[in-house]
Amino acid sequence: MSETVIVAGTFLISYTLILGYAVHLHLRRRRSER
Amino acid sequence: MTRVKLLMGLAAIAVAIGLWFALTAPPDALQGQYSRLLGIHPPAMWVAFIAFGITALGSIMWLIKKTERWDRLAAASVEVGVIFTAIGLFTGMVWGQAVWGTPWDWQDPRLMSTAVMFFVYLGYLALRSSIDDPNLRARRSAILGMIAVVQVPLVYFSVNLFRTLHQGQSIRPDGSTMPDEMLIAMLVNMGALMVVYVALMVARLDVAKAEAAAAPESTVAGEAVRPPRLNEVEDV
Repeated sequence: MSETVIVAGTFLISYTLILGYAVHLHLRRRRSER
Repeated sequence: MTRVKLLMGLAAIAVAIGLWFALTAPPDALQGQYSRLLGIHPPAMWVAFIAFGITALGSIMWLIKKTERWDRLAAASVEVGVIFTAIGLFTGMVWGQAVWGTPWDWQDPRLMSTAVMFFVYLGYLALRSSIDDPNLRARRSAILGMIAVVQVPLVYFSVNLFRTLHQGQSIRPDGSTMPDEMLIAMLVNMGALMVVYVALMVARLDVAKAEAAAAPESTVAGEAVRPPRLNEVEDV
């Protein structure tokens, strides 16, 4: 695999984790408001 | 627009600017494209350190003031800090594989102290979820949050204190060890991840408040049959 793909994939996975956590918080908030 | 949405929007803009700096900085002569990981690996760990510092502050303040908001602050900061530590570990392993030829070294003080710190804070979250009494939960996790923070300087200075595969501090009192373009890219990403941290913290604190408001008086199963506590027994 090329260096560029590995580096881009590492950034992508890291920010996906953050985004996933933000979505998790959003869904938890909505559930508790119901 | 709610406060959380506004902060999340700001965080997205900050991350986009950070990525632009990280991906347009010149590649390193030896490490090539891998040097771009400077835009995520050190900033993620620094934000994790700050997060755990804020947990310690929240823990100490809870022990002094005994108000729920300090407990919530400490708990929220651990959750976000653990996410950033996971990112720091993951990106470090990718970088290690490229530069050292191995993603992990079980005898390396920097790697092992970071892993221990990660698991201790996972333990903090496990401790919180195992206690139903809010007061007891706050007290026990405040004690752990206060003690666990000693790992932060230990992890940070482990590269100076021990022999390690990991490189030494990049930013020292006498200046930086890297070219300006790389340093600026790293600092801009540090700022971007701090905005992300603040946005996630505000969202997490909102969730905690909403859940506390929605929760019934007690979530303890079998509450009606629990034995009386000493301070509840009236003198006869």
